[in-house]
Amino acid sequence: MRGPRSTVERLDKPSAYFNNSRNKRRRFDKDQRDGDDDTSMQAEQREEDDPLKNATTLYVGNLSFYTTEEQVYELFSKCGEIKRLVMGLDRFNKTPCGFCFVEYYTHQDALDCMKYIGGTKLDERIIRTDLDPGFEEGRQYGRGKSGGQVRDEYREDYDEGRGGLGRAIAEREAQEKRRGHIEEGRLR
Amino acid sequence: MADYDRRHGGGGGGGGGGGGGGYNNKKRRYRDDNDDYDRRDRGDRGGSHQRRRYDAPPPHVRVRKQLIAIAENPMKPWHEEISGIANLFTDNWDDELLRGNFVDLILQLAVEQPLKTPFLAGVVLVANTNKPEIVDMLLEKLTRLVETRVGEGEWRDVKLYLKLAACLQGLLDGDGLFPVLEELFSRAVDLQTTNSEDTIGTELVKIILLTLPYVMAASSPDQWQQKAADLMEKTEIIASEPHALQALIEPWHPEASEEHPAQSQSLIMLLQTQLQSEANSGWALSCLPRPWEFPLGEVEQQSKLASAPKHALPTIRIPRTVVAGPKPLFPEVFISVYGQQEVESVPPTTTAASSLIRDALLDTINILHVNRHVTARQLVEVDCYFAPRTFAARATPFDRLRDIERPKSTWKPEDVAVDAVFSQLFLLPNPEHKLVYYHSVLTEACKLAPAAIAPSLGRAIRYLYRNAPRMDFELSVRFMDWFSHHLSNFGFTWKWTEWVDDVELSDLHPRKAFIIGAIEKEIRLSFAQRIRNTLPEPLKPLVGPEKEKDVPEFKFAKDDTPFAAEGREIASLLKKKAPDEEIDAVIQRIQSLAIDREIDALVASTDVFVTCVLYVGSKTLSHVLAAIERTKDRLLDAGAASDAARTQIIEAVMSYWSVHPGVAICIIEKLLNYSILFPATVINWALINRAGKSRGGDLALAHIYELVFNTVVKVTGRVRQVVVKSNQPDSMVDDEARDAEIKGMRSIFAAIEDALTSWATGSKDEMIESGDGDSERERLVQRWGQRWLRVFRRRAAIEEAFLAEAVKEKERRAAFAAEQAELAASAPTAPAEVVGDAAANLQGEVGAGDLST
Repeated sequence: MRGPRSTVERLDKPSAYFNNSRNKRRRFDKDQRDGDDDTSMQAEQREEDDPLKNATTLYVGNLSFYTTEEQVYELFSKCGEIKRLVMGLDRFNKTPCGFCFVEYYTHQDALDCMKYIGGTKLDERIIRTDLDPGFEEGRQYGRGKSGGQVRDEYREDYDEGRGGLGRAIAEREAQEKRRGHIEEGRLR
Repeated sequence: MADYDRRHGGGGGGGGGGGGGGYNNKKRRYRDDNDDYDRRDRGDRGGSHQRRRYDAPPPHVRVRKQLIAIAENPMKPWHEEISGIANLFTDNWDDELLRGNFVDLILQLAVEQPLKTPFLAGVVLVANTNKPEIVDMLLEKLTRLVETRVGEGEWRDVKLYLKLAACLQGLLDGDGLFPVLEELFSRAVDLQTTNSEDTIGTELVKIILLTLPYVMAASSPDQWQQKAADLMEKTEIIASEPHALQALIEPWHPEASEEHPAQSQSLIMLLQTQLQSEANSGWALSCLPRPWEFPLGEVEQQSKLASAPKHALPTIRIPRTVVAGPKPLFPEVFISVYGQQEVESVPPTTTAASSLIRDALLDTINILHVNRHVTARQLVEVDCYFAPRTFAARATPFDRLRDIERPKSTWKPEDVAVDAVFSQLFLLPNPEHKLVYYHSVLTEACKLAPAAIAPSLGRAIRYLYRNAPRMDFELSVRFMDWFSHHLSNFGFTWKWTEWVDDVELSDLHPRKAFIIGAIEKEIRLSFAQRIRNTLPEPLKPLVGPEKEKDVPEFKFAKDDTPFAAEGREIASLLKKKAPDEEIDAVIQRIQSLAIDREIDALVASTDVFVTCVLYVGSKTLSHVLAAIERTKDRLLDAGAASDAARTQIIEAVMSYWSVHPGVAICIIEKLLNYSILFPATVINWALINRAGKSRGGDLALAHIYELVFNTVVKVTGRVRQVVVKSNQPDSMVDDEARDAEIKGMRSIFAAIEDALTSWATGSKDEMIESGDGDSERERLVQRWGQRWLRVFRRRAAIEEAFLAEAVKEKERRAAFAAEQAELAASAPTAPAEVVGDAAANLQGEVGAGDLST
């Protein structure tokens, strides 16, 4: 069915992130299943059961914590009517934590969004889009230790739109500071 | 030099290797990020032999890489590059994988990266001197592809394959490509004589005229002069006839008072005249690249090319019936944002270069939508793909152009590239892709070469702003959308100070309306305070303090608002998610109070209820959508109660969110989806109620237009979907349902026409009654009426054309299928594959190309 390899890389393909975690799972499945090592059949199956074949949802990352739903609507509507928008929230505070899911009515709109909006700016940040098999309850919450996204735990750069330093790092620095004060006190 | 830096990642194939045959393998290995190949290679061969580190990739990989990257590197002389690839190919002739891939890749590149076609032809011409067999393989496949694409109505592919064939004219036997062009012309004549509104024939003539220059550039100029003259004498008749639909797609809408309203010229009419003047000057075609011409030092290679074997072009059969194909065809007009300059920074429309470069760039832009980075790169590097000295040096500031001495070119490659993108952004009725694609191309180009592209965009913006009053209103709004979106990608920086004088203009002046609308759009992508800080002092009042409030005031919080107590009560009941009966009771109370006060009871209770729902959901869109979802039965009932109540729903939404109209538009869209509102409700509210109350002034508001336009797009999109479905063989849509949809759409357009005509002619009661003697205001309002009317009349006409086309295309496809079947029966040896393709294509959608977005 599929034509020859394009001479230009396409921007509407799933990211390495999705493929990697999927392949890991696949490899795991294979180990479990054992035996059957027919690679050509596997390739065929991949076509068949590709969960992104008709994906209408996108994961959107690297948002500022302060970006509102209205802003997301404004930008993403340029690729088609939005069926549903789910903001990513901090597990504990229930405040936006820098990602969301945008669901369109059609697969084509989602692909166009990958091509035309992924990697452009929203609220003056380069945002990232990734095709997603679909939102499920629970996925709107950050999976980091402190409630936000994992990437905001150990981030070493200061990112004003995402709460400054990574939370774990900020915590450690605060501790060190406290300790430093005490030590200084002792020296005196 | 930074612009010349080859970037790897972005372009699939990435950068090419060293020039000619002299490879430095070690260097190549480290420079090319080609581990993709490494992995594949090991996998395929099962690791049977471990390759040593310094091995060059096998020839088929190198040929592929170099072909894909052909002409990208301006430091590599063309003749060296094409001989290098051709020799690498012929030297490895025994590599079967390579031989098969070579032809396929060339044909693929011709339709995927059309700027490179002349260079691919160059490689083929050189390869022909060594292994002429390859040309026969290529021509065989090429002709079959042309036939298939003609059958499908994929006219751009047809054009691009013919362009490749045209570049090979020098190695073709006999008359080469001329018989094919003549055959195409005879189809065009058939079509045009049977139907004056035909667009396929126009498209065919366009293809002929765009192919001819490549034929002429690829062979000795005088050899074909007579043939070309004969052909052009014929195309003249069709090309010079103005198309019936042309007035519809005209981008400019000058005021009646304008003295010399410049009419845009039709693309094929321009082409015909441009080529005529080329013919008069012996087909110099100085912008086209001729990589097959070797420098004087290489006499030997040049004579080898001249004496290489010629090949017969296999017959290309053009069916008696041709189809329009999946993309709707419209006549095209030429548009440029760099007209009327003191120094010409783009090719003037009198030169063939104007059309030839534009055409190649448009194909590139529209084909490469899969990767806007590559599109932007090819645009920024446009000078790599045309003859040397066609353009001025990259990034030459516009002010410096006047220092350039003639006959050196003053054409700025950036202007030419940007102009091409704008021509799509401003294409009526619709460009091939979503508008946001063209936004993204300009953004990428600006990121890739900011110093070169940004000033060009600035000059385009100034031109468009100056001409905003005479631009078609739909296009003017597209300009506003692009402008605000573009700024949002570049820190919202714009030299607003240039426009501060226009703040004094009436809000009804198109330029002032543009400023207001653009700032509003910027705020929607960002937030009020941020945008205010980007504006100079005189413009700051346009972003009032009320814009900074995220949540609007709840009018029932103030006791002097009618029904304040009831409003607060309903709001608290909604917050508590109280049972329906409790809300019912309050609504009853409102209605009886309203009757006492002699106002419309349904309108009063609807206003209170809807305002409360909005207030309860004011935190975010999710909140309000959830609130609507919970109360949708009551909203449905309220809307169904009376027209006035239904209209009041919109009134309540628009007034609650009057400061943030983007939110209101979003909510109304959802209410339409729930069928709480109908399209007609929106039209009436906007064009009769709202426009009436503002004495027509609100027709200047971009968001009112947006609301109406989105609603119409929803309706027409739905009709198209149904029509396309009902045209399919196993359609589940019955004709009755389809006709009902069409009828609904027509009544919407009729309502719009009615409402707008009175504004446009100045016969609206509100305009006459006011009689405040403000004739300037009346003139402006009338003008807005005309601008609106033109947009929606066009939309209506386009949808009617679509419906008519859908019927015709169905007939054409049937005729085409019959012809194919007849052919298959009469010649059992006919290539089954081609017939199969054509038949399969019949299952395809009729007119699936959606121009409603």
